[in-house]
Amino acid sequence: MIDTQKFNRREVISKGLSFGLIAGGAAILGKPDFLLAKEEPARIPDLVAVKNGEPDAMFKKAIELMGGMNQFVKKGQTVVVKPNIGFPRVPEVGATTNPLLIKTLIESCYTAGAKRVYVFDNVVTATPGNARNCYKLSGIEEASKAARGIVVPIDDFSYREVKIPGGKKLKTADVHSLILDCDVFINAPVLKHHSSAHLSIAMKNLMGIVKNRMEYHLTGLDQCIADFCMYRKPDLNVVDAYRVLMSHGPSGPSNPRSANVQMKKTLLLSKDIVAIDAAAARIFGKEPEEIDYIRIAHAQKTGNMNLKELKIVTYAM
Amino acid sequence: MNLIRIRKVTSGIILILFILLFLGSEKLSVSLSTFLLPFQGIPALVHTVTQPEALCIIGLIFIVVTTLFFGRVYCSFLCPLGALQDLLIAGSQRFRRQPGHSFSRPLNGLRYSLLALTVATALIGSLSLVSLLDPTSLAGRIFTHFLQPLFVWTYNLGILVLKPLNIYLYPKQTAFVSLSVLAVTVVFFLLMMYLAATRGRLYCNTFCPVGTFLGLLSHISVFHFTLNQKSCSECVRCENMCKAGCIDPQTASIDMSRCVGCFNCLNACSKATIIYQRRRSQTHAHTWSPARRGFILGSVAAAAGFIAFNTNIRTFLVTHAAQANPPVTPPGSLNTKHFTQACTACSLCVSVCPTQVLTPTFMDFGVSGLLQPKMNYEKSFCEYKCNICGKVCPTGAILALSLDEKKLTQIGKAELLKDVCVVFVDHRNCGACGEVCPTHAIRFVDKENILYPEIDKQYCIGCGACQLACPTAPRSIIVHAKPIHKKAEKYFSPETAVEQKTPPDQAFPF
Repeated sequence: MIDTQKFNRREVISKGLSFGLIAGGAAILGKPDFLLAKEEPARIPDLVAVKNGEPDAMFKKAIELMGGMNQFVKKGQTVVVKPNIGFPRVPEVGATTNPLLIKTLIESCYTAGAKRVYVFDNVVTATPGNARNCYKLSGIEEASKAARGIVVPIDDFSYREVKIPGGKKLKTADVHSLILDCDVFINAPVLKHHSSAHLSIAMKNLMGIVKNRMEYHLTGLDQCIADFCMYRKPDLNVVDAYRVLMSHGPSGPSNPRSANVQMKKTLLLSKDIVAIDAAAARIFGKEPEEIDYIRIAHAQKTGNMNLKELKIVTYAM
Repeated sequence: MNLIRIRKVTSGIILILFILLFLGSEKLSVSLSTFLLPFQGIPALVHTVTQPEALCIIGLIFIVVTTLFFGRVYCSFLCPLGALQDLLIAGSQRFRRQPGHSFSRPLNGLRYSLLALTVATALIGSLSLVSLLDPTSLAGRIFTHFLQPLFVWTYNLGILVLKPLNIYLYPKQTAFVSLSVLAVTVVFFLLMMYLAATRGRLYCNTFCPVGTFLGLLSHISVFHFTLNQKSCSECVRCENMCKAGCIDPQTASIDMSRCVGCFNCLNACSKATIIYQRRRSQTHAHTWSPARRGFILGSVAAAAGFIAFNTNIRTFLVTHAAQANPPVTPPGSLNTKHFTQACTACSLCVSVCPTQVLTPTFMDFGVSGLLQPKMNYEKSFCEYKCNICGKVCPTGAILALSLDEKKLTQIGKAELLKDVCVVFVDHRNCGACGEVCPTHAIRFVDKENILYPEIDKQYCIGCGACQLACPTAPRSIIVHAKPIHKKAEKYFSPETAVEQKTPPDQAFPF
């Protein structure tokens, strides 16, 4: 038993030499982290959860724990941030993504060197007038502009049809060209109750970049939501669970005083859209398996909903 | 003469304000409508009889009194269609080989019978003729059906140009105008253009009910134009300048019933033969007589109209048959009868409606309600937090509602067709209707993890958002009109927001 752990001299020398060569070469090439990466491949956590802070502070902490925005946004890249602005509601209703979070997110992209950051959502009931109401009431237009984000309202001409590889129900989708043409796509949904999908989180939020959303409703909402993720997964998902609308979603009441909102003050960050939906479902008080589209996406190997198998970093402020 | 400049400036301002009223932002339209529309003849009259308001009555008195004093100056100073025609006339004069107008005989038979017919049909409860002929409404339709699309297309083209520069603006939408409605506007616009180009203000002196009625009043106006035969050299310069064609130098007469009060003739005459002065009692005795019959008839008809416009008498007279499937009328229109008997189809609500749900119809309200708008739920929906149509309606057909009242006004009721709805047919989630329902009238019942929609009719206000959102063809949720609007129940959530007093916990559920 002890013998097996012994090295013979030749092996030690050759291994030591090759390691030294690689280390030296890497150091000369200026990439010492290449070595570290080899030794610790899963340095970036699968999921980061931060709670008990304000949206801006929570995001800053979470992205720090995730290894910094530079992991996702490189110098000169164009970024699209996709919040949930689906309904003409004030932020207090919890039906739309927190504007302060969006502002911090855009700022963080620019700090990481982004050339341009676009903010876009194809609102539910997509008339120009309603889109304007949604963008303004949610506070996201103002917040984005304050951070030099380019707010893009809907129009009919900017969509291109794409094929969904492996889509069971959803074979094609008309996707907004901003998302098709950008370098980095950041999905920034809000966690809220949904009357016909139980919950609306990150995967459901992607219905706001396609034009043929009614096809989802018609052919099977849960399957289509899961299918679309086979086309393109966002490079980063940021789930806003600061104010969580617990009933009457997705729109919530128009009067914020009658909104059933819980201050969960939580923020989630992950590259894995299924994992982040699973974690958000738990925060809401549901099991991931209860939500059909999470279950389907897990089965279609889009991501992992078994939170126990993931490297999760949590932080309470 | 200064009067001409004052007229040009005033009518120019009126025309610009009217264009802004129809094409401007919502706030601008509302503020302009409050002081602009009470001073328009037909809208003020209809508003006064349907829902008397101080400003409308003042406007009406103002129009009558100024006419009794100065003649038909309304037609040259305040009428938007008059201003539009003056522009066309000025434009067409430039392209004519022989510019100038000439005297024409009055078409008294046509104009008085048209006025009488218009009043008579209004009496029996149909505003169709009023809608077609009223200059304010006609101008409104021209602005909404022609000018607005031009403006919107240009604006949206501009947006496309700016897009590559990373400047993004909200696109605008044009109103949905059906071909038949557009055809009516085109015919009237072409007629008006043709008449303006060839015969000056003939529309105003033959077809316009306001012009004809004010013409009757002008017979006895305090100030009037006279042509002094002694000093007249029959140079016909004044005749050439008269858009209304009412100056006849041969007989040295000026037909005050057709004079639109533009004051151009005063400038034309080098000898001051034409004078605008107080009427002397003996001068008008014989010039006035040919139209006296018409005047008496007209004023009797107008007086009768005024009384009979009263809703009670009209209700008694009304023959408006209830249709099997009447269109939905906008919130604030009380009921189909009120709406159809007060709307003159000016299309202002159509042009300001932010969701473009208000669509002018050709004959959806029957022959008695030509061109009146309906809520078109196949194209759009009624925005929950909007009450702008009632704020701008010039005639009181759509009464102003506070936002709280509007949010509870049932203009229709949704019906769910469970034999078409995908959730009931295929047993899988859809929920498109519930997503957009602003009043929580659509509730979902969870059966084996599938959410089935149900309608709580007491909360439904008939805004049509669900019908527009429904993905099935044909739609499985349809809004039917409520011919008499009702009040919806206010929804109270069973789960109310609880103020969380517990200190924030540190645990994560994973």
